[in-house]
Amino acid sequence: MLRFLYAILLGLVGAGIVHIAVLLLLPTLTERDAWSRLANAADLYVVTPADGSDGSQPVIEAPDPLFSAVACRFDLEDGPVRLKADGSVPFWSASIYGRSGDNLYNFNDRTAAGSALDFVMVTPTQMIEMRKDLPAELESSIFVEVDVDEGIVVLRSFVPDESWRSIVSTYLKSIACTTQ
Amino acid sequence: MFRTVFLVLVTLVIAVGGGAASVWYTLQAQEGVGATTIGSWTAYPSMGAPDADPYSKARAAREGLLTLGKAEGLAFFATRDTGGEELSRRCSYLVEGAAPLARFWTLYAADRSLTMISSERRRKPALQSLDLLRNPDNSFAVAIGPDVTPGNWLPVSGDGPMVLVLTLYDTPVAGGIGVEDVVLPQVLKAGCRA
Repeated sequence: MLRFLYAILLGLVGAGIVHIAVLLLLPTLTERDAWSRLANAADLYVVTPADGSDGSQPVIEAPDPLFSAVACRFDLEDGPVRLKADGSVPFWSASIYGRSGDNLYNFNDRTAAGSALDFVMVTPTQMIEMRKDLPAELESSIFVEVDVDEGIVVLRSFVPDESWRSIVSTYLKSIACTTQ
Repeated sequence: MFRTVFLVLVTLVIAVGGGAASVWYTLQAQEGVGATTIGSWTAYPSMGAPDADPYSKARAAREGLLTLGKAEGLAFFATRDTGGEELSRRCSYLVEGAAPLARFWTLYAADRSLTMISSERRRKPALQSLDLLRNPDNSFAVAIGPDVTPGNWLPVSGDGPMVLVLTLYDTPVAGGIGVEDVVLPQVLKAGCRA
């Protein structure tokens, strides 16, 4: 009987260890990540819908029906990546995620001058290079320093009512996600 | 001999089964580590952040979805009404009160996977604060249910569980400081279809 109690006690201690191990391993072992789902949908530097509006599974959590969202995967090893859109919308916000889906940096249209969407993602090393000799066409861009190579950038834009739907989708389609 | 094998098996079953089950239980629970509950509403302010606690990280990884950033906004989810009963698509509810400071907010009715419920009407079960009828004191009331209601109304159809998603955009609340002191609207049950 005592040995049986001992086995149960040992099992409970083991359960604690397994609990911690599973919890810490889950983020690294999961295969249902946004990166691989986007990789199936589109290549690097291709702007694709992220809110499931094209009939696919949404890659953003709780896709707001009054929003449109697009995503673009990038690899900073190929050089700095610039995102630029033409036109204006009532509200936009951007989030930069690492490969594992960590939200590394995010901002909205109030951050940008004149609420224009034009920003460049760089690694700290590329930032040093950029500071030395800033290309003229990037003078008004916002520089976002991220300490990762592979990542995902998601742009969300507010659709106040259905009459805005086409304006917002034209705006999101105009977004260029390019290496510099 | 047989006894020893049996005891080892008992230990292993408790360790592996209990460990896995407890992780599953804590991650699927609405409330818990990393969650902030205000009345009927629950938010996960640190989910997706690189410095989040292990439970928030595991929850985000399990869902494999990209979360809203702090400069973008904060989403609150309600699965129960103020009386503590689960929200059902067959019932009518009244979301009443005031929303915290934000540039604007949206409210929509969703299923368990947090995608919008189809209303089977031209009107969608989604509403935003810039397009809302308000009371003279700036508070509001939004009716949610299958029956046509005057004023602000979110049409829903079908049956099964329902989740209300209230997202505040460009809000100081999303910074995480003082989230607990935020006052959110109440979710009151008005009645159910037989």
